[in-house]
Amino acid sequence: MPEELVNLTIDGVPVSVSKGMLVIEAAKQAGVLVPHYCYHPGLPVAGVCRMCLVEIEKQPKLAISCATQVAEGMVVKTQSAAAKSARTGVLEFLLINHPLDCPICDQAGECELQDFTFQEGRAGTRYSPDYPKRFNPVEDFGPDVLYVPNRCILCTRCVRFMEDVAREPVLNVSERGDRAYIGVHPETRLDHPWAGNVVDLCPVGSLLSKDFLHKARAWELDKTASLCTGCSQGCNVTLDTRENVVVRVRPRPNLEVNRYFICDHGRMNYRWMNRGDRIEAPLVKRGGELHATDWQDALERVTTTLRGAGPRVVSLVSPRASTEALFFARELFRGLDWTGAFQVVMGEEAPLAGVPDLALRAERAPNGRGAELLGYGREYAAALAAAQSAAVVLVLDEPDIPVRAGTLIYVGTVLPERARDAEVVLPIANVAEEDGSFVNRDGRVQRYAQAKPAPGMARPAWWVFSELGAALGHGEPVGSAAEAFERVAQAIDALRGLSYEQLGFVGKPAAVPVAV
Amino acid sequence: MAIGVKVMKRPGTKVSYVRATLQGMALTLQHLFRPKVTMQYPEEKSSQDWTLSPRWRGTHRMLTDEQGRAKCVACGLCPQICPANCIKLVPGEDEAGNRYPLIYEIDEFRCVFCGYCQEVCPEEAIHVGVHYENSEFSRDRFVYDLERLCAQTHPVSTLWDPSDPKGE
Repeated sequence: MPEELVNLTIDGVPVSVSKGMLVIEAAKQAGVLVPHYCYHPGLPVAGVCRMCLVEIEKQPKLAISCATQVAEGMVVKTQSAAAKSARTGVLEFLLINHPLDCPICDQAGECELQDFTFQEGRAGTRYSPDYPKRFNPVEDFGPDVLYVPNRCILCTRCVRFMEDVAREPVLNVSERGDRAYIGVHPETRLDHPWAGNVVDLCPVGSLLSKDFLHKARAWELDKTASLCTGCSQGCNVTLDTRENVVVRVRPRPNLEVNRYFICDHGRMNYRWMNRGDRIEAPLVKRGGELHATDWQDALERVTTTLRGAGPRVVSLVSPRASTEALFFARELFRGLDWTGAFQVVMGEEAPLAGVPDLALRAERAPNGRGAELLGYGREYAAALAAAQSAAVVLVLDEPDIPVRAGTLIYVGTVLPERARDAEVVLPIANVAEEDGSFVNRDGRVQRYAQAKPAPGMARPAWWVFSELGAALGHGEPVGSAAEAFERVAQAIDALRGLSYEQLGFVGKPAAVPVAV
Repeated sequence: MAIGVKVMKRPGTKVSYVRATLQGMALTLQHLFRPKVTMQYPEEKSSQDWTLSPRWRGTHRMLTDEQGRAKCVACGLCPQICPANCIKLVPGEDEAGNRYPLIYEIDEFRCVFCGYCQEVCPEEAIHVGVHYENSEFSRDRFVYDLERLCAQTHPVSTLWDPSDPKGE
């Protein structure tokens, strides 16, 4: 069925948008961002902040663009004198009690009040300098959320998130008029597993993350599109790094997966990316001890081991490894008696009630589906048993090192105690240090990008395995993750025809739908 | 065209320099009775006709509040604007939960004394000083920490005021 389109003009730009769309969204398509506070595409419309006032021809009064639907032939003027002066007035009201403590506010630099005041606010105040601003002490809302009532502009995004999206209405607007503030239910805390989203939703620095408090200023952060490794849902996130240290994880909008939200588990699941005890050089065993060496030597050692070994091989892999790495690791043992398995850590499931098919999944394995697509099994215990009699055991970033008779090749980010008797240890990059892709539980293939450099000589796992494969005569080595993915797409039916370019940063469902 | 060269005519014989020498000595003698312009530096640091400009940009000083604590709130603007990258700042919280610098260090060797830190500071905490005597016995003493910056007592710079460009 063709979608019904409506034609309208916004600031002189003609646009055609689907029927029922809000003017504020249509304006985005015309390249105009109407200033707004209470409106958020992931929340129900409230229309309380009055910031998005625009002039619509043939309407007697200014209209709020967040609650006005588009109509045929509508002419919207966002920059007319009347609309601008109305918005300037709204900003002036908001700033009566706003403390202007930007130097100590964590939101400074990504604050919508700051941005829009700079854009169209008054240059000075009309209040006398000794006017006493409203003051309320900072409140502790929950495990990771602080509320600074002075900075609050009562947009009620947090209230609507808890009520309509999390469906746990513990926040409200308490009191009235200029005494109003955001109140939390006296007998509860803001400890919903998705409560951290109110910090991202807050347009000012009123709701703060305790984890990020005073840690970095917004303008110091480098942002990288990535994927959450917390569970098999595959939420899109942005990794915020400061001087090559990941300091914050924020949701990256993807309407097909996580909309605008991520859970607190994923939000806090970044410290391991900054671990200091990493393997920084390839290690090979000489005289019963592991010694650091260069890549060429280490790779040669692995190929001689693999060439001389018997046909029984077991791979124990981490479901946090990229699809590309898992593919090349599988290709190494083409034609041998191979068993591959991955271990899935289980946790508690925590759904977000207001968004269908979005939850913190019990399976804490971001690429479990990808590993399955490539032929790895879930029978980890059986694989551990099989490893006892195997000639070669390859462990990819998995701390569970099996008891075995054969040779151990350990490829990982950190060196567990029990991997110290490995024949060769190869250092690899973690998810923040390489490009790669995951397949989430619904069979959606998504990319993540490199946010910081890998320590020492560590390389992406797909590079390591493709070099090894080339040395064993399985084709040319690959030079980039995109090239690596091309190879995967050629060999695996479910991914056929896909490429990094096509995936973009929102991903694509695998060509053959995978049964859930 | 050929370049014309003027050839000076020199006296061939019997030249006396006594007159010129006496002229020179007379000039020197005159100077003994003129007003002195030399300042006796370590003893004398300014005079009636000459003082350091109030816009002078020298080593830094951190101003303090009534309790003697640095006014800095660790907003991070000065390390951001610093063209020489000489300010090290690690933000944290003080006992009362206020934002406060845990570490604030300025490497005065690296500093180019542009005064941007003072200009950008929203709390009027960090200032460049009207001060130029900075000798030390070791290089590491030139990294001033917060305590030392607060302990400085010299006057602070007024910087250049765009509304009063000539400083009148």
